Amino acid sequence: MASKYITLISGDGYEFVVLREAAMISPTITGMLRNQFAEAKTGRCLFPEINGVILGKVVEYFNYYHKNRDKEDVLDMEIPVDLCLVLIEVADFFGLDEQQS
Amino acid sequence: MMASRGRRPIRKPIMNKEAGEFEPCWEMLRNSMTDIHNKNASTLSFEQLYRASYKIVVKKKGGQLYENVKTFEEEWFQNHILPQISELITNNLVSVALVQQPGSSAHERRQTAEKFLRGVKSSWEDHNMSMNMIADILMYLDRTYTLETKRPSIFATTIGLFRDNILRNTVGGMAQGLTDTFTIFDLVCAVMLDLINMERDGDTVDRNLLRKITSMLEDLYETDEEFDNQRLYITSFEPRFLVASEAFYRNECEKLVREADTSSWLRHTQRRLAEEQDRCETTLSPLSAEKIADVIDAELIKAKLDEFLKMDGVGLKSMIDNDRVEDLSILYQLITRIDKTKAALKTTLQRRVMELGLAIEKNVKETDFSVPVSGAADGDDDGQDKSKPQSLTAAAQQTAAAIKWVDDVLQLKDKFDRLWEVCFQRDLVLQSAVTRSFSEFINIFPRSSEYVSLFIDDNLKQGSKGRSEAEIETVLDKAIVLLRYLGDRDMFERYYQKHLARRLLHNKSEIDTEKEMVRRMRTEMGNSFTAKFEGMFKDMELSKDLAENYREHIRELGDVGVKKTDLGINVLTSNNWPPEVMGRGGAVQESGARADCIYPPAIKRLQESFFKFYLKNRSGRILTWVGSAGSADIKCVFPKVQGKDSGPLSKERRYELNVPTYGMIVLMLFNDLPEGETLGFEEIQAKTNIPATDLTRTLASLSIAPKARVLLKDPQTKNIKATDRFCFNAGFLSKAIRIKAPTITNTSRVEGDEERKETERKNNQTRAHVVDAAIVRIMKQRKELSHTALTSEVISQLSARFKPDISLIKKRIEDLLTREYLERSDGDSASYRYLA
Repeated sequence: MASKYITLISGDGYEFVVLREAAMISPTITGMLRNQFAEAKTGRCLFPEINGVILGKVVEYFNYYHKNRDKEDVLDMEIPVDLCLVLIEVADFFGLDEQQS
Repeated sequence: MMASRGRRPIRKPIMNKEAGEFEPCWEMLRNSMTDIHNKNASTLSFEQLYRASYKIVVKKKGGQLYENVKTFEEEWFQNHILPQISELITNNLVSVALVQQPGSSAHERRQTAEKFLRGVKSSWEDHNMSMNMIADILMYLDRTYTLETKRPSIFATTIGLFRDNILRNTVGGMAQGLTDTFTIFDLVCAVMLDLINMERDGDTVDRNLLRKITSMLEDLYETDEEFDNQRLYITSFEPRFLVASEAFYRNECEKLVREADTSSWLRHTQRRLAEEQDRCETTLSPLSAEKIADVIDAELIKAKLDEFLKMDGVGLKSMIDNDRVEDLSILYQLITRIDKTKAALKTTLQRRVMELGLAIEKNVKETDFSVPVSGAADGDDDGQDKSKPQSLTAAAQQTAAAIKWVDDVLQLKDKFDRLWEVCFQRDLVLQSAVTRSFSEFINIFPRSSEYVSLFIDDNLKQGSKGRSEAEIETVLDKAIVLLRYLGDRDMFERYYQKHLARRLLHNKSEIDTEKEMVRRMRTEMGNSFTAKFEGMFKDMELSKDLAENYREHIRELGDVGVKKTDLGINVLTSNNWPPEVMGRGGAVQESGARADCIYPPAIKRLQESFFKFYLKNRSGRILTWVGSAGSADIKCVFPKVQGKDSGPLSKERRYELNVPTYGMIVLMLFNDLPEGETLGFEEIQAKTNIPATDLTRTLASLSIAPKARVLLKDPQTKNIKATDRFCFNAGFLSKAIRIKAPTITNTSRVEGDEERKETERKNNQTRAHVVDAAIVRIMKQRKELSHTALTSEVISQLSARFKPDISLIKKRIEDLLTREYLERSDGDSASYRYLA
């Protein structure tokens, strides 16, 4: 098995190193990594149409979710109002709109 | 995506939707799907493909994508997979698998079959892997489009294509000798079943391959809806598998029947069961484990069970007879599988118990017991009157027979208990069945009650002779077990009372053991059963105290120095003791009236003195002296024999003789007799008034047995006759100081036919009273009752004691009617009313 961490790369070149397990809450990333595609080989996932700010928020969410996955009464993550719509769209892209089991 | 519609976006949407036209996106997907099938996926970017499908779906072109993917896959099957598979479907394969043509060797068949399955397996695995990857790329399609339209997921659809395009493909034109077309699926099944049968026949097959094909069938469903109970394995393969197995095992069973070896059939079946379970675990699916076991149960066990059990020399009968524990264990396990009541095993067991039980009886009847007991009455047949010793011998033989019978029954019981424990897992059904059979054959044997009592008698008497407590314990336990089987317990009670009386009066057994035995009987049969026995123990204890007190009393009288006779007395309550012992037995009835024997004056004085003492505290009682039941210790002095100067005869000898009371009376007569004179049998009888039969025995013990030949008899035969004469044996010599005269009367033995009839007659009398009492008790309570109800009530009340005859009950009812305890109800002759 590859490294515990994977790298997510935004269209504008920002790289985020994130715990593989944390990123796997996204079905999209799971599908990306469990098959014999290029991403699975290199552990580097490029998202050409997502910019660094948005991808940063996504990674923040991965970590937030991972850190608090077994806890109750957790404070909401801070989301800037102007990012809301875009984040909804990106969440849909990453398959984060469903309750994770 | 409602995200930015109708509002001014705060930021430019990140996804460049305008760039996502359908054609270029699909083109890219199509190419990469080819790459995936060709296993070239590692150069593809998942993100790119996912984004392409995402964009198509976002553009509401999901339906088109769905159809395109399907068509692509179908074409792929037609162009790439089917040709590969078809190549594997050779004429050879078809003919061995479907036509079942003989001629090809198993090895060849296996090779062909495995090659074909391997081809199917690898194309399946490829397809499965590709479909997983494609379904991942098209994840967004499933999440939105298929969900909204309620179509099967893209994975279900594309994986199902394998079923539709490969398995259900009819490979036309290739079947020679087959009229119907067949599908690849048919072929797969046929080949698998062939391989399974080969493995059953002992070949080694590629289990892993079979397992892979099975899991393929488990992963595929009849339709794309993928209902759980619609797996191809369950709907299509398993039924064929079970049918084929049925045929296989039916065949095998017939072969085993021809071989006619029950033992190998058992082992074979057991092995088959294990094999099939193992096969389900490792080669097929655990889902089938239970069903295939059912097939074996039906075809291999149930079908010919009776035939196997009945086989001569190897069947159940011989297994039981030869204690083939292992076979029986297997048999029990197998039968338990198919029949919870174990009827087949049960009936044979029962029949065998009956047969062996009756064989014991027959054996006992036929065995010659004269050999081991000949010492007791060695056959001096030259006497004119043979009847006496012979009847004795016969009686002793019968006693030995009784003990052998009980021993054999106990052995049989042990045997079946062991089988029950070791082989039948302590099965309750079987236990009660076997118990019933034991009870049945024991009760068929008319003398069982007597024999069991005799057996206990024998063991308790021997009990004092250096056997460990544990041994006695087990014997008692066994005896109780037999007791449980006895139906006529009142008969047993009668015999036991008689035997117990003898043991108690002659100190033949240990009182503690006796009490223990009776205590066990009480727990087993209830208080009323043992009341008399306990009464007997109590009499014995009271008598001991009484005798002690009497001795005390005599000492106080102070007749010190006077030559005294010591008295040990047993005062017996006549109800508790058997009539035979109480001198109310058959002998009395023969002579018409009971005559007291004449005691010597010294004894007479003693009796009177005791009677006076006894009445001091208890007035109004009558003591009857029962000479036949007692014994006496006599100190005898044998004078020095005239003319002998050396050797033991030259001195005076003192011996202590222990003889029966009658023996004492007889010997006392000789005290008064001048030396050298003789007494005739009739003279003795006249002087003592001892009943002739008792006297015969007494004289026999004193004048025949060499150990205690205190009297000399003329003529010197082994029999006592009325014309014999007796004189004091002055030359008596013995190594022991204390001598016990052999007491012929004391031996507990089997009754002769006459005695037996007598006992039965008496027992029936008692039963009549018991039935009377029961009827009156019931009627008193119920006032009015129909004949049948009354009869069944009586039977149930008395079942603990004996099984009353219906005719007896009827007779008793009639008797009670004439004695006006009951009357017939008005208008209903079949019911009775109680008359107070």
